[in-house]
Amino acid sequence: MTAEAEQVAQDLRPRPLPNESNRFYWEAAREHRLVLQRCDACHQFQYPPDVVCVHCQSLAMTPTAVSGKGVLYSFATVDRAFHPGFSDQLPYVVALVDLDEQPHLRMLTNIVECSASDLFVGMPLEVTFEDRETITMPQFRPQSGPA
Amino acid sequence: MTSLTRDVAFVGVGYSELSRAGAANPRALTFAAVSEALTDAGLTGADVDGIFEYRFGPESPSAQEVARLIGAIDLAAFADIFATGPSGLASALAGAMAVASGVCETVVVYRCMTREAGYMGGMVGGGEQYSDQNQFLFPYGYLGGIIVNMAMAKQRWLAQYGRTEEDFGHLAINARRWAGLNPRAMLRDPLTMDDYLSSRYVVDPLRLLDCDYPINGSVATIITTAERARDLRQKPVILDAMSYGTGQECDWVFGTDFLYGGTVPCAERLWSRSSVTQADVDVSEIYDGFTTVQAQWIEALGFCGIGEFGDWIGDGSRLGPGGDSPMNTAGGQLSEGRLHGISFLNEAILQVRGQCDQRQVP
Repeated sequence: MTAEAEQVAQDLRPRPLPNESNRFYWEAAREHRLVLQRCDACHQFQYPPDVVCVHCQSLAMTPTAVSGKGVLYSFATVDRAFHPGFSDQLPYVVALVDLDEQPHLRMLTNIVECSASDLFVGMPLEVTFEDRETITMPQFRPQSGPA
Repeated sequence: MTSLTRDVAFVGVGYSELSRAGAANPRALTFAAVSEALTDAGLTGADVDGIFEYRFGPESPSAQEVARLIGAIDLAAFADIFATGPSGLASALAGAMAVASGVCETVVVYRCMTREAGYMGGMVGGGEQYSDQNQFLFPYGYLGGIIVNMAMAKQRWLAQYGRTEEDFGHLAINARRWAGLNPRAMLRDPLTMDDYLSSRYVVDPLRLLDCDYPINGSVATIITTAERARDLRQKPVILDAMSYGTGQECDWVFGTDFLYGGTVPCAERLWSRSSVTQADVDVSEIYDGFTTVQAQWIEALGFCGIGEFGDWIGDGSRLGPGGDSPMNTAGGQLSEGRLHGISFLNEAILQVRGQCDQRQVP
């Protein structure tokens, strides 16, 4: 087995399977850009990407870059694996992040580059990107420098 | 007079034996619960023309299987409700709707649960791909059912309202106090606040004692028209109003109201259709799959205002025997055991009938 195939074989974490509605999102993430659907009719962003604008039911949406800045809405620390793919990630933090662009524009993510004990609801965050073998996952870390 | 088309009554309650250990036989457990409920009502399987049940999977036999076991002659309507909605109570609400609408006359509803099905901590999986919306959740380790969601809800609650965990501890302590009076309950030894605060984290900050107790058991209820109920064995318990709620942009994670979900619109709708008000309530049976959910319901239903649970709960005694808001008088899912919804309905029916022995609220 090649070294690369070994690495793929070892990452047991669940993976996204992109479809026509959300492929733009995953392709942008692979390029380290956070891009969401912005509705042509009501001009709101939505997350997660979906087949229609969930705010106004328009089918016309345009992939639009966001700043990647947000605020920690809540978080929880997992220290026992519910899935074999995460056995070597423990402890990890699952969090809800509210993006600056719009009220209730919320992503579920991990918090990286930070100890769980330093986290607090309301903490300013910024997007970063975690390259996995076949997909890149947007993640969030504490904002560096002035907000 | 109710908000429904026909007046609906609850006329029979049944429980199987409840257990923690050993292999569970869902068909046997459900037959036991349904049989007891039919006997309680003074009915037989031949009288039943509707069956509704809720399940995650094979832990509960299907409505058709139960029709065969109890000797139902033919069903006018039936359904197996899969995994969404107000847990096991969904089967009772569906049954009530079937009777109220005139589609069915006499309905059996049940929820069978096994310890294995009730436990969210099992480790499963490896490298699966998800083409549905779970692709935005599972790769981040949001797994184990809703357990991470519940932990984030507790975290948000504590931060948003500036409260401490003792508020939730009082709910766990109250459940155990009532369970001590319930011979059927699985956990009956009293809890102290120290016990609660030292219980281990399932997912930080959600503790083991914030979570319900997985067991094996089945619970059943018989529903018919109020008119028919007059000829049966027990004092009829009349359904006054029922409601679901989802909130906007309905989603466990991304819905408009993460902290309260569908509870607030559900409660508004319930009170708008009810002939009684929150002030008229003498005893309540409030879902406690997690202590945070119970607190959300207490606020949404108007026991206190939104954000006021921490001040309202005090030392917790108001929920207990002799308190002004007796709540979860069988011990809830926290202490009676995880029967997943219908157990609250059955306890409420028994309270109204005056059949709760030491747990009876006057």
